[in-house]
Order: sequence, then C-alpha cells, then structure tokens
Amino acid sequence: MESYIGKIKEISERLLNDGTVECVVGFRKGTVALTNEPCMITKASDVQDLVWDENCRLNLANYLTGRKEKIAVIAKGCDSRNIVNHIIENKISREQLVIIGVPCKGMVDKNNPEVLQANCATCLHRNPVIYDELCADLVEEQKEVDRYEDVRKIEAMETQDKWAFFEDLLTGCTRCYACKNACPLCYCPTCFVDESQPQWIGKGTDPIDIRTYHFLRAYHCAGRCTDCGACEAACPQNIKMRHFTKKLEKDCNELYGWEAGLTVDQRPPLDSFKVDDPDKFIM
Amino acid sequence: MADFEPKIVSFLCNWCSYGAADLAGVGRAQYPPNVRVIRIPCSGRMSPKFFLAALREGADAVWVSG
Amino acid sequence: MKNLMEHMGVEPGRLQFSWISSAESTKFVDVVTKVTESVKALGPNTNYVKKSGAKG
Repeated sequence: MESYIGKIKEISERLLNDGTVECVVGFRKGTVALTNEPCMITKASDVQDLVWDENCRLNLANYLTGRKEKIAVIAKGCDSRNIVNHIIENKISREQLVIIGVPCKGMVDKNNPEVLQANCATCLHRNPVIYDELCADLVEEQKEVDRYEDVRKIEAMETQDKWAFFEDLLTGCTRCYACKNACPLCYCPTCFVDESQPQWIGKGTDPIDIRTYHFLRAYHCAGRCTDCGACEAACPQNIKMRHFTKKLEKDCNELYGWEAGLTVDQRPPLDSFKVDDPDKFIM
Repeated sequence: MADFEPKIVSFLCNWCSYGAADLAGVGRAQYPPNVRVIRIPCSGRMSPKFFLAALREGADAVWVSG
Repeated sequence: MKNLMEHMGVEPGRLQFSWISSAESTKFVDVVTKVTESVKALGPNTNYVKKSGAKG
C-alpha cells in the first residue's frame, strides 16, 4: 500500500493548489513506532508530510464533525462508511467533501506487525463505498470470512461465564476514554459520562462503572458502528471492546439486514419505524 | 430463598400501562407489591441509562411497559 | 438492547418489556404477577450492583 502515497500526494497538492479544498485530512508519521497520526494539511508545500502504509489505523471521519470549510479526506473502506454515517447524521454535507478513496488491504495489528488487526482480517468492505478520486485500482473484497465467530462463542456461554468473560476483558480499563475519542461516532457535545445532573455513571474505576460505560458506549453505536477498529487501535490497555460493538453489529445484520454506512439514501433501522420490525422481546 | 421479595423498578408509559395501573387501582384489583412505578411520558422516553442506573443502585429487575 | 445485556452476562429476566393498553387493567395485574414471579425465581440481583458504598 506504500505505493499509493505518490498518487495521494499528487491529488492533495492539486486540490490545495487550485483552491478546491482548504485542507486535506490524512496521516503523517507518528512519534510512536508503528503508528501514524492523523494530520490536517492546509498548505500545498506540506503535502510531503503525508504518509500511507499499514499503520494508518485511526478513522479520519472523526475529524470531519461539524466542519464548515471544504475538506478533502483520505478514506479507506471503513473511513468512507463512517463518512456516509456523518452525512446521514447531518454532521457534514457531501458538497463540502472531496473524498480521496484508498482501496485498503488491511491495517496491521499494533502489537504484531506480522498479522492484520482483527477487524481488518474479517473486513468485507475494503474498497471505499463513496469517493471522488481514487488513488489506485479497487482491490478484491475478501469472501467467505466468518465475521462473527467470536460473537457466537460468547453467545454460547452460560450467563455467569459471560459475566466473567467481560469482567476479565475489562480489568485493565482505566477509563481514559481513548476509545471514545478515537471513535468517529462519538461526537456528542457532552458525553453521558460527563453529565453530572443526574450523574449516570461514577467517575472512578469501579468495575460496574467501567462496565456501564462500555455498555452504553457500545449501545450508542448500535446500527452505526462500521467495525473500523479505531477504538481498539487507540486503547493503551489493549482491551478488545469490539466484543460489545460486534454483537450489536451482528444483531442489526440479523434483525434488520442492515450494515452501517453503505448508502446515503437509506435511514438506519433505529431511526425508522416499520410495521414488521421485530418485537419478540415484548411479552 | 423462599421469602425473597424482589424490588422491580417499572417504567410505565403515562398513556398506556400507567393508565392500566390506575384502572387496576380503581377496580381494586390485587397485585404483588414488588413493583416500584416510575411514570414516563411515553415509552419513547426510556433510555438505557435509566435501567442501568436502576440496576446499579440495587434493583432486582427493570420492567418497561408501553 | 436486551440482547447486548444478555450477551454481557446479565440474566435474561432482569429486563422485561410489555405492552398494555390503558383499558387493560386485568392484563396489567396479570403481567405484574408474571414479572414478579419470574424475578422471584431468578433471585436477587448480585452482578450488576455497584458494591462501593457511595451512591452513583
């Protein structure tokens, strides 16, 4: 994927020079090994800073929320789906955006550069679903990957084992909120964790508070999560919080046949009512 | 635990179940005293925050009814 | 919602939903009885209670 960068720089430079956009959102070399950091380029001469390789894990849609200017954004498959989400949720308009599509071959695990990170290994949408420019030919999509193997494994457990599993999963959490800051869906001006009247959730690292936080964070992503993996990539404690969002993703897929961020023409299932919506949970 | 009396926090819609509860009271119907009723303007007011808070503070179950 | 709760290891009966019209007082009594009985069978909620003393 390193070969893309020439084309990315070329497109960015052209867009900045002819004034089509005021800034380009992309990645530059980070200060930590094996991690690139998001950056905003506003001068054509800075385009040389841009990089692209297998360490561009974060989701750039996160930096578009509520922007007023014209923006170019470099988008791999999941980024583009989150951009669709942003457009659906009126956080940015399509006219403001120039989307530089990157056919993605998957990002590598931050702890083990030999293998793809978990969500990329089972990704079904590597090509951007929406783009204006493309920096390479589209790649072949993965087929016959089992996306929900781990979810089914947990589903098969007994209640107490499930509880213990998540207890164990969340032990390292320090509530630094890196996951919610990296998440392109978490853009509320005041997050429920910061609300104090009423205070929904304690501030400390009480296990129940941690669980409430992760549960509610995941729930807020229901029908919106694109499984981009930014939360796990950002977590300093390597917590696999995708176990929460994955379950919701699977349910949305099974109950409503919905996958987030594939089209701007359709309202998401939790936002629309249909007479035949499943209601098995009501007695 | 034969004498266990659960605390059930129930969120009832003003127009539906709360009305039914009212009617049950008017009709002097007998029902278990374990439910603690919270009236909400509509079941659409229900939020996951509510029942997580209820469980966290020690409720044994949460019942939402529209 | 309920699905994720159960996925997380909260017992299925801890969260219940129903639909009762305001004219159905008998159904209300029925459902209250049913809910109470099922929770009684389930026993007290021990998992999802905040154990540290201070509230909220």
